[in-house]
Amino acid sequence: MLEAQGIRKSYGGITALAGVDFAVRTGTVHALLGENGAGKSTLVKVLVGALAPDAGALRLDGRELRAHTTAEAVDRGIAVVSQELNLFPDLDVLANLFPMREPRRAGLVARRAMAGRARPVLDELGLDLDLDQPVEQLPLDQRQLLEIARALCTDPRVLVLDEPTSALHAEAVDRLHEVVRRLSRRDVGIVYVSHHLEDVLAVCDTVTVLRDGEVAVSAVPAATLTVDRIVAHMLGDKVAAVMAARSNEVATTVEPGTPALRFEQVTVGTELQEVDLAIPAGRVLGVAGVDGAGHRTLLSVAAGVLRPDAGRVVLPDGAPLGRGLRAAIQQGVAVVSGDRKRFGVMLDKPIWDNIGQVSAVGLRRDGMVVRAGRLRERARAHVGSLGIKTPSVDQEVGMLSGGNQQKVVFAKWFESSPAVLLLDDPTRGIDVGAKAEIYNLLQEQSRRGVVQVVASSDPRELAAICDEVAVFYDGRVCARLSGERLDAHTILEVMNTGRAPEHAVGVAGEHPGGAPR
Amino acid sequence: MQRAGRLVLGQDFLGVLVATVALVLLIGANYPRFLQPDQLASILNNAAYIGILACGLAFLLAMRELDLSVGSVYALTALACAMLVQEGLDPWLAALLAIVVGGVLGLVNALLIQYVGLPSIVATLATLAMYRGLTLALSEGTQVVGPPIDSSFSQVISADVLGIPVPGLTLIVVAAVLTVVLRATPFGYRVRSIGSNPEAAAFSGIPVGRVRTQAFVLTGALGGLAGVLTIGYLGAADPNTGTGYELQAIAAAVIGGTSLAGGRATIVGAALGAVLLGVVASGLAYFSVPINWNQFALGAVILGAVSLDSFVRRRRRRARAAAGPRL
Repeated sequence: MLEAQGIRKSYGGITALAGVDFAVRTGTVHALLGENGAGKSTLVKVLVGALAPDAGALRLDGRELRAHTTAEAVDRGIAVVSQELNLFPDLDVLANLFPMREPRRAGLVARRAMAGRARPVLDELGLDLDLDQPVEQLPLDQRQLLEIARALCTDPRVLVLDEPTSALHAEAVDRLHEVVRRLSRRDVGIVYVSHHLEDVLAVCDTVTVLRDGEVAVSAVPAATLTVDRIVAHMLGDKVAAVMAARSNEVATTVEPGTPALRFEQVTVGTELQEVDLAIPAGRVLGVAGVDGAGHRTLLSVAAGVLRPDAGRVVLPDGAPLGRGLRAAIQQGVAVVSGDRKRFGVMLDKPIWDNIGQVSAVGLRRDGMVVRAGRLRERARAHVGSLGIKTPSVDQEVGMLSGGNQQKVVFAKWFESSPAVLLLDDPTRGIDVGAKAEIYNLLQEQSRRGVVQVVASSDPRELAAICDEVAVFYDGRVCARLSGERLDAHTILEVMNTGRAPEHAVGVAGEHPGGAPR
Repeated sequence: MQRAGRLVLGQDFLGVLVATVALVLLIGANYPRFLQPDQLASILNNAAYIGILACGLAFLLAMRELDLSVGSVYALTALACAMLVQEGLDPWLAALLAIVVGGVLGLVNALLIQYVGLPSIVATLATLAMYRGLTLALSEGTQVVGPPIDSSFSQVISADVLGIPVPGLTLIVVAAVLTVVLRATPFGYRVRSIGSNPEAAAFSGIPVGRVRTQAFVLTGALGGLAGVLTIGYLGAADPNTGTGYELQAIAAAVIGGTSLAGGRATIVGAALGAVLLGVVASGLAYFSVPINWNQFALGAVILGAVSLDSFVRRRRRRARAAAGPRL
C-alpha cells in the first residue's frame, strides 16, 4: 500500500540513499534495519513526508504522492513514532495526544470527547495515566508509550515505529509487540525500525536491510533469518581497506603494579553497575553497546563529568581521578567527541587559537602571558605533523572540512601531552581518507604509552583500532572481546543480545550479563 | 608601513574610529571652536566614566554575559567613597576601599548567576535596582560631600597631564591595560573562548564559572574606579548620578565593535564608542538641536552604528559561505 521507489537523497556531498525501493503491505510488520548511517532514518523521514527526496516516487494505494508533506501524510493515515521524543513537556497528557486536531465543540477544545477517545488507546498499551498530568513529570518509558498512543489516536493505516523500544523495559516491549500484532491483524501496515534484532525477529514478518544507502536485503521473510544472518547483511563483506587492523594482542591480565587506567567497582545509578576494568598504558580499549547500555556512561565517568555513586577511577600515575571535567583534564585526561562543533572547536577562531586552547589557555602552561606568535609557531608544527590541510594557521576552523576540524581537536590535546585519551565516536561524519589518518595518529599515541578508551557507532572501527572491546549490556560488561574473537560481527551480536558468544571468553562468571529478554 | 596599515585596517574598532574622526571633523568644519584642544579634552573627560564602564562590559559581552548594574555600582561606590571620607578616612584609602566595594558588588552579581542559576541579564536587572536603592537609602536622597577640594586626592584627579584631565587619562590607561589583558593573558583568551563556544571551553579545561566570576568582579571594580573618579572630580556624590549609564555603556561597547554574540571584543573600541557618544552629545549642542531631542539622536546613532556593523558582518559571512569549506 505505501510504496517508495528509487528514492535518492544526499546531504551536501554525502549520499544517504542511493536509489532505495521499499514497500509496506497491509497487515504486515516490515522491519527496516541497518547500521548507523545506513540510511534508515532518512528513508523514514521520506516516507512520512518530513524530507523531500532528490529523486524517486512515493505511492499510496497505487496513487503517487506529490509534494508529500507531514500534514498530508497524517491526513492520509501515515503516522510516525520517532526516535527523538516529540512531546510537549509543558502540556498535559491529553493535550499531547491530540496536537493540532483536538476535537472541538463550539470552537472550544472538547476535553471530554478527547478523553473518551484516548482512554481505550491508553488501556490497550497498558498505560494507566492521569490525563491532566504534565508530560514532563512522566518517566521516559511512559513518554515513549504516550508517543505511540498519540500515533494510534489518529487511526493510522500505516504506522512507522522508529526505535520504539529504546526506553522501554521488557514488559512494556512485550505489551507493545502485542499491540503491533493486533494492529497488523486490523490491516494496518507497520514499518518497524530497531537496533534490537531479537525484538525484530519476535514481531516482524519481513525484513529489509539497508547498507550504505542501498538495499542489501529486500523484503525477506523474517522466518528465514537469524540475528547472525542479519548482522552479516548489515555489515556486508567489505571491510574498509583503510582499516589496517592492528595486531590485536590477546588481552592479558593486568598486574596490580603496572601503570593503567583502572575502573574499580564503578557504579552510576542503574546506568553502570560495579564495572571493573583496567587498561594498561599504550593499550586501546573499545567500549560498545546499544544506546543506554552504559558504555558512554563509562566515558563520562572517566572524563570526570559524572561522579560515580560507588567505586573509583585510578589514573595511570596511580592518582585517583579528581572531581569534575577540569580536574580530569589537569590530571592528563583528554576528551575527543564526535560532536566536534559542540565540544571540540571554536568555529569562528583561527586554527592556532584552537590548538592553544587546552595547554596555554585552559591549563595556563605558558605562564601569565600568552604569546600569539608562539602559539602560531607550535600550531604550524601540529598542522605539519597531523597533516591538517589549510593554507595557514590563521584560517578559521569553520572553513575546514570535518576531518581537518577533528584533527585540530586532536592537535589541541596532543599539545597538552595527555596520559589518557577518551574518544567518543571520534570519526563521526569524516570521510574515509581522514579516518585512516586519524587511526594512524591514535597508533602513534599508543606507542607513546597513552591509554585510549574508544566508543564508536561503527563496530568495524572498534574491531580495527582496539586491542580489546568491552561490550556493555544493561550497565554491565557482558563480554570482553580480543584477539581472534574481536570482529565487528561479534561486537554487534553481543551488544544486541547481551550474551557472550560461545566461542568467546565472556566475563559472565564474574559479572553476569543482563538477562536476555 | 604596509604591515602597520594592515594592522589598523584589520581591527574591529576601525569603524568607530573612522566615525568618530569624521564626526569631529564635520562639526569642526562648521564650528572651528569645537576643534580647540580644551574642547576635545573636555569631551574625552566627560566620556571617561561611561568609557571605563564600557571596557568592563566588553569583557562580559565577549563571554555572552551582561551587567546592567554598572550604572548603579558607579553611583553606590561614589557614595561609599564620599561617606568614608565623611567618617574621617584618608581620601586615597577611601577611594581604594570604594573600588574594592565595586569588586564586591560585582562578586554578588557573579554569585547570583553562579549559585542561584539566574541568567546574568535577570540577576543584574535586580541588582541594578537594589544597588541604586541602596544608594538612595544610604544618602537619604541628597548629595553627600566628598573630599575637600584642596585635598591631594581632589587636586590630583582634577589636574591635567599634557592638557588631558586625569579622568580622561585614566580611560586611556585602563583601555591600554585591559587590551593587553584581553589579548595576551590566559584570562583574556579564556573569556573569548567561552564566548565563542562555552561547551568546548569547558571541554578544554577552562574553569568557566571562575572566569565568569573574575569578569564580573573586574566589571564591578571598574564601576568603582569610575565612581571614585567622579567623586574626585566633582567633589560630591549625587544618588541619581549614573542613571541610564548601563545602556550607554553597552551601546558604547557594541558601537566599538564588540559582538553581542560573544567570542570577540575590543576594549579600545568600547572606549572610542563612549567618546563617539560624547561627541554626538556635544555636537548636538553646537548645532543647537533642542536638548529634548538628545535622547532620540543618541538612539539613532546607536542604531546606525549597530546596523552598519551587522551589515558588514553579514557581507563577511556571505563571502565566507561562498568560499565554502575547503580541504
